[in-house]
Amino acid sequence: MSSTAPQIRRLQSVAPRIAQAALERARLTVVPRTRRTRAPRVPFVAFVSVILLAGVVGLLLFNTSMQQASFKATALENQATDLGAQQEALEMDIQALREPQRLARLAQDMGMVIPSTPAGVLDLSTGRITGKPVPASGGDAIPLHMPGPKKPAELQRPADVEVNPAKVDAARTDAGTKPKNTTDGAPTGDR
Amino acid sequence: MSRPSTLRTRRGTGPRRGSPKLRMQVGFLLIAIVLSVFAGRLVQLQGLDPDSYAQMAAAEGSDHVVLPASRGEILDRNGEPLAETVDGRMIIADPAVTAKVAPQLATVLAKRLGIDYFQTLERLRVEDSRFQYVARQVPASKAEKVVADIRKEFEDEDGRPFAGLTTERDPLRIYPNDDVAANLLGFLGTPKDDGSAQALAGLEASFNKYLSGKDGEATYEVGAGNQIPLGDNTVTPAVDGRNLHLTIDRDLQFYAQRVLQQTVTRAAGKSGIAVIMDSRTGDLLALADYPTYDASDPYRYDDSLYKSSALTDVYEPGSVEKVLTVSSLVDAGLAFKEQKFRVPGQLHRQDRPIGDYWEHGMLRLTLAGIIAKSSNVGTVLAADQFHNGQLRRYLTAYGLGQRTDVGLGGETKGLLPQGAAWTSQVGDRIAFGQSLSVNAVQMAAAVNTIANGGVRIAPSLVQGEATTDKGQKVGSDVASTTRVISADAAHETMLMMERVLDPEEGVAPGAAVPGYRVAGKTGTAQRVGENGGYDGSTTVSFAGFAPADDPRFTIYVVVHSPRPGSGGGSTAGPAFSKLMSYTLRRYGVPPTGGKPNQTPVEW
Repeated sequence: MSSTAPQIRRLQSVAPRIAQAALERARLTVVPRTRRTRAPRVPFVAFVSVILLAGVVGLLLFNTSMQQASFKATALENQATDLGAQQEALEMDIQALREPQRLARLAQDMGMVIPSTPAGVLDLSTGRITGKPVPASGGDAIPLHMPGPKKPAELQRPADVEVNPAKVDAARTDAGTKPKNTTDGAPTGDR
Repeated sequence: MSRPSTLRTRRGTGPRRGSPKLRMQVGFLLIAIVLSVFAGRLVQLQGLDPDSYAQMAAAEGSDHVVLPASRGEILDRNGEPLAETVDGRMIIADPAVTAKVAPQLATVLAKRLGIDYFQTLERLRVEDSRFQYVARQVPASKAEKVVADIRKEFEDEDGRPFAGLTTERDPLRIYPNDDVAANLLGFLGTPKDDGSAQALAGLEASFNKYLSGKDGEATYEVGAGNQIPLGDNTVTPAVDGRNLHLTIDRDLQFYAQRVLQQTVTRAAGKSGIAVIMDSRTGDLLALADYPTYDASDPYRYDDSLYKSSALTDVYEPGSVEKVLTVSSLVDAGLAFKEQKFRVPGQLHRQDRPIGDYWEHGMLRLTLAGIIAKSSNVGTVLAADQFHNGQLRRYLTAYGLGQRTDVGLGGETKGLLPQGAAWTSQVGDRIAFGQSLSVNAVQMAAAVNTIANGGVRIAPSLVQGEATTDKGQKVGSDVASTTRVISADAAHETMLMMERVLDPEEGVAPGAAVPGYRVAGKTGTAQRVGENGGYDGSTTVSFAGFAPADDPRFTIYVVVHSPRPGSGGGSTAGPAFSKLMSYTLRRYGVPPTGGKPNQTPVEW
């Protein structure tokens, strides 16, 4: 105890200074505000808005063009169907014109017949003619029409399509004559 | 819970506000009620029947269409169409709208479409109906045109187009050649309610599945009649029907039908058949029936004509069958062409005498002479050399009594007696072609066996291969070949058949084709009438092939019930000659340059 007394005293004389310093050190002060450099706000906002707007407008345009294409596709499909139907109708006309019975009728009107005799054969390698060619005669004419049905008229169902073409008068010998057409231009064969 | 107090301090509380606690309870109760309604609906949608609701949602604003499969065409051997499908329309009237203008409308329709005026008028005026067919299966371009014109012509006061007529898809089957090959093709009737084809006869019916294909379907979202891009869509593509290629040659078929018609009508016959067959391949180039019908307009004809009588009707072949008997004898080593026979005028067998078609005393004929003169008595004498059952085995190998299965339905297989039914007198009569029945294609294929060097090749009507609705594979690719007689026996039979056309010795000089060697055989058989017995009418026929020494075509012409006194040689012979000349010329077959053989017919 006796040894400590002078130390304490010394301490008491020193302490306030140290404490003062410590206090000085421990005190919080407000940090002065430093000036941050910030990107200017307006251009950025504008940039983002432009992107957004471009996206929306692009989408709208894209969608519109798709719709336009869809309209066009529908229209073209309808046109294709119509043209297909027309082509079919024309092909039917050709078929009617190429019917063997029509050709036979036109030919016989011109005085031609399918010969019922064999033809001579010319062998191209030897140049020899074999066979007994016989000229055709009027007796080779074949019937041009199949006989009609044997049903009484009142049982005959009316057909869906017109099947009463004009009978070609036998006097006509012009091979280029067309059968008389029905109102819609589809020649029907002889029946 | 402390918020309301603060709120109250902010807003200030009115005297009529009631207690906050009560308001809270009422509010929560209302929220709970609304949320339970939502929850209940959620359970109903997701738990009870989610699928049907999903479907309903999908159907909203989406369009479902059937993608129809197009029916295959039927083509001849050169690709000429015999039956094809074109786009067609049904025209549908809405009587609620059309009744007011029915007379004018019916006039226009009747004129433009060629339909019956009164029937149309009636349909346009049906009461309490919104849907009436006006016309079915009208070619599409024509139907659309007519309906478009009517819409314009009958527009109402405000200029809106007339809404009483609409069109729907209704494919139309056309037969561009009318009656040519109609007996084979058959036809399609009015489609069934589900839009599928209703095949009523012929190849259309027996190959219906093969020709039909399979419909597809598509579902897509639509807005104002246009498909919405990027919308949901599912497509099952249609599988189109396949084309059926026939072995028939259209122009030859046409000529055969006309020549047959001429032959039958000139002989005052009841009906007739002509078969033209390629000897080497068995292809049927023409199969004509008379009478026949028009496939484009079948309902005007009796439905008994909707068939190929060459396959469905059986008859007794008569003397043409003698070549089968004689060729079997030669093949079995029991006879040869110069073999000598003493042929009496009548042969007395068990139940009744066998005679010839002409009166004669004792003749000394060779086997070739028996064929050339077509002697029943001689044939029976020659056939006596057969062992038991031998002739039957040969005739079975020739294909008699079995279906040819060319691919047409309703074929009758004919009758070759067997077992106890083959008595000795039946055997005698079968030897010269009575007491057995055949169909024409069977018989043509049997005679063609002799043309084809003794090998029977099954006839075919379909080129390549196709499957009938019954699941049978038919066609030239699957045609079977069987050796029936040796090549030597076939050749020897041919030499005897050639004597049939001899102008001096034979019975059918009219069947000759100038410049070519032809082998053939006539037939005149008694016909079985309605009552099951012979009724005095006959079936006359001629079967033959040319060129005889290198056969290319076999032709068989049959005329049923010609006027009395007609014979196979004089009636069917000339038709055979015409058809054979035409066929040889059409296919460019040169004469072989040989001379007909002169095997003696008498000794």
